[in-house]
Amino acid sequence: MKKLIANVLLSATILAGLSLSAVAQDTLKLPNMSYRTGPFAATGTPHQNGQLDYMTMLNERDGGINGVKIAFDECETGYNTEKGVECYERLKSEGALVTQPWSTGITLQVLPRTNVDEIPMFGPSYGFSAMQDGKTFKWAFNAPTSYWDGASMIMTALGDGDVANLNGKKIAFLHLDHPYGKEPIPLFEKLAAEHGFTFLPIPVGLTEMQNQSAQWLQIRRERPDYVVMWGWGAMNAGAVTEAVKTRYPMDQFVSVWWGAHNPDLKLVGADGKGYRALSWNFTDSEAPVMQDIKKHVVDAGKSQIDQASGEFDSMAYQRGVLMSVILAEAVRVAQDHAGTPNINQEQLRWGLENLNMDDARLAELGVEGMMGPLKTTCANHTGNAGAWMVEWDGEKFEKVSELLSADRALIDPLVEEEAAKYAAANAPWPTNEECSM
Amino acid sequence: MDFLHSILIKPFADMATAPDFLLQVLWEGTVSGTLYALIALGFVLIFKSSRIFNFAQGIMVVFAALTLVGLHENGVPALLAVPMTLAVMYVLAMSIERVVLRPLVNQPDIILFMATIGITLFLIGFGEIIFGGENKRMITEELMIPTGSFEFEPFGGFLLIEQKDVTAVVGAVILVLALLMFLNKSKMGRAIRALGDDHQAALSVGISLSTIWVLVWFIAGVVALVTGIAWGARAGVSFALEVIAYKALPVLMLGGLESVSGAIIGGLLIGILEKLFEIYWGQPLLGGNTETWFAYVFALFVLLFRPQGLFGEKIIERV
Repeated sequence: MKKLIANVLLSATILAGLSLSAVAQDTLKLPNMSYRTGPFAATGTPHQNGQLDYMTMLNERDGGINGVKIAFDECETGYNTEKGVECYERLKSEGALVTQPWSTGITLQVLPRTNVDEIPMFGPSYGFSAMQDGKTFKWAFNAPTSYWDGASMIMTALGDGDVANLNGKKIAFLHLDHPYGKEPIPLFEKLAAEHGFTFLPIPVGLTEMQNQSAQWLQIRRERPDYVVMWGWGAMNAGAVTEAVKTRYPMDQFVSVWWGAHNPDLKLVGADGKGYRALSWNFTDSEAPVMQDIKKHVVDAGKSQIDQASGEFDSMAYQRGVLMSVILAEAVRVAQDHAGTPNINQEQLRWGLENLNMDDARLAELGVEGMMGPLKTTCANHTGNAGAWMVEWDGEKFEKVSELLSADRALIDPLVEEEAAKYAAANAPWPTNEECSM
Repeated sequence: MDFLHSILIKPFADMATAPDFLLQVLWEGTVSGTLYALIALGFVLIFKSSRIFNFAQGIMVVFAALTLVGLHENGVPALLAVPMTLAVMYVLAMSIERVVLRPLVNQPDIILFMATIGITLFLIGFGEIIFGGENKRMITEELMIPTGSFEFEPFGGFLLIEQKDVTAVVGAVILVLALLMFLNKSKMGRAIRALGDDHQAALSVGISLSTIWVLVWFIAGVVALVTGIAWGARAGVSFALEVIAYKALPVLMLGGLESVSGAIIGGLLIGILEKLFEIYWGQPLLGGNTETWFAYVFALFVLLFRPQGLFGEKIIERV
């Protein structure tokens, strides 16, 4: 009898728990697949702090989005693809509205599942560039920009506005030997063939990130006109210190946005003057959004940032904030369209492909000047926000260009071609037939 | 014919036409090799005395370096932060012995190996909580390590040698000599070697297992600190340093798990050979990044002929 009563009590407790969790579904589950440990934590942590702090600010300031609290849980992947897939499965089973894989390797693994699971995947400015093609990749989004956009903008900037000016030059491509690092290679190869410059890929292995002497000896031997870097984690710091050591001219060294990372450049300080990076975001600690984060999150002791190191003012932290700004905007758009604050995955997908963050909207969101305007459609999941060239002045990054745009005539056909190839290789691959754009 | 030329003739012709560049490659290989050797040394010391393959050596390098930098960030003068870091490493060694190793005495080697994986995971999480994941600047100048460079013009070319690399090599040599002196001349050093040779016999003559284990884990901590300073001075201190420990594995395969001199020579050999191979064969013929696998292939090749490694002891078991 005692056992029976105990079983009844246990069952009642479980049922009560289940009903409580059903109530808890009244939150917007927007989890993040983060990495705060391991060799890539140095760049992962500030970005993910920025993402988290913006969502925390919305919860504190506005009670969530349109009155629904945000659950921004994290699943630690260590930038490991296998762990990332485990995280994806876990988050899916917990009813995630979106997944944010935070790695091109994980993105490529999870991409085929998005059609089956029907959960939007949001990889802001990373992942497979052909995800721009919303007709083929119905559930995948990489707004505000893609790696191919980035490569195009960098090469145009190096050619003083015209890639044709790079004819006869030699461009070394220092990249992490990982799906992420290899992602822009098709575009560089296409540009090299069209414009007659030499493209020299120089891979950096995981174990060599902090010991790049061989790569920089190759650079010394080959004497490239420019070094373009696609690094991540400790690789960027390793490259910058080796560049200083080998005395490579810093004004000929350019990185994609992840290389616009203050702590890496602080390692070399004034010796890094002239180093440039293409960045789709720029810092403005006085912007309304940053002041709100400071008031409601940082000063309230609810942030994990390292204030002593100046993380709040860093490019990476504020980039993370903007990533969450875009996602939260997609949630608002979805809520407005669905007519309910409690949206599902399909409704969020609609929100992600109907973003219209023009200058006026960016100002309303308090991020004016921190990123370029973007507009997504069912056919374009990138939004192509553009980017600025930023330069290290010895202490901080400065904006040194107008907002740059990628060469659409070059990229769009390649996107279409690679998306078709991907769909054919993964046939039967469903496409978005409803999209008529 | 072209293929054979590119393998057998061109690399050597390149070396001959740019001897200054060859010297630079050899120097960079020597520095890398010295640092590999230091990491391998940490593994050897612990294996020699306890037959434990310490998977945590890599994270100990990170932990020691982060402790040093973290103390300094919190206002401790650099020269005081060093002994304080050593004290932390001693406490860590003692805790590992008390909490992890002592309850596992007489367990199979694989259990102890798994325990060191547990220590690794603990230190990753603990280190992240205390120090955060950001890349930190090593306090090179504060430790009075020179940061300039020497420039030479051998054969009319250019050779650049960083003073902090010279310091790392000199520091490593001094550390190794001190360790060899300690292991061969001191009473405790002989006790470590005795324990490594035969646990039962060593215990029967009164050598304390727990004291020696604390001592070797502490020495491994000292080696980890020196390694952390040397690597950190090159590209900052972050959890990425841990992956460099994987480079010590082929060094151990090559040099043998029990030989201090094997770790040193194995490290130098691999450091120099992988750099030469990468520059003169890997980059022109294979697209580069051969350093990630060259050392393993080379070590496997050596093991075909000397299964105990270059300096490992050949064990003959009678059955």
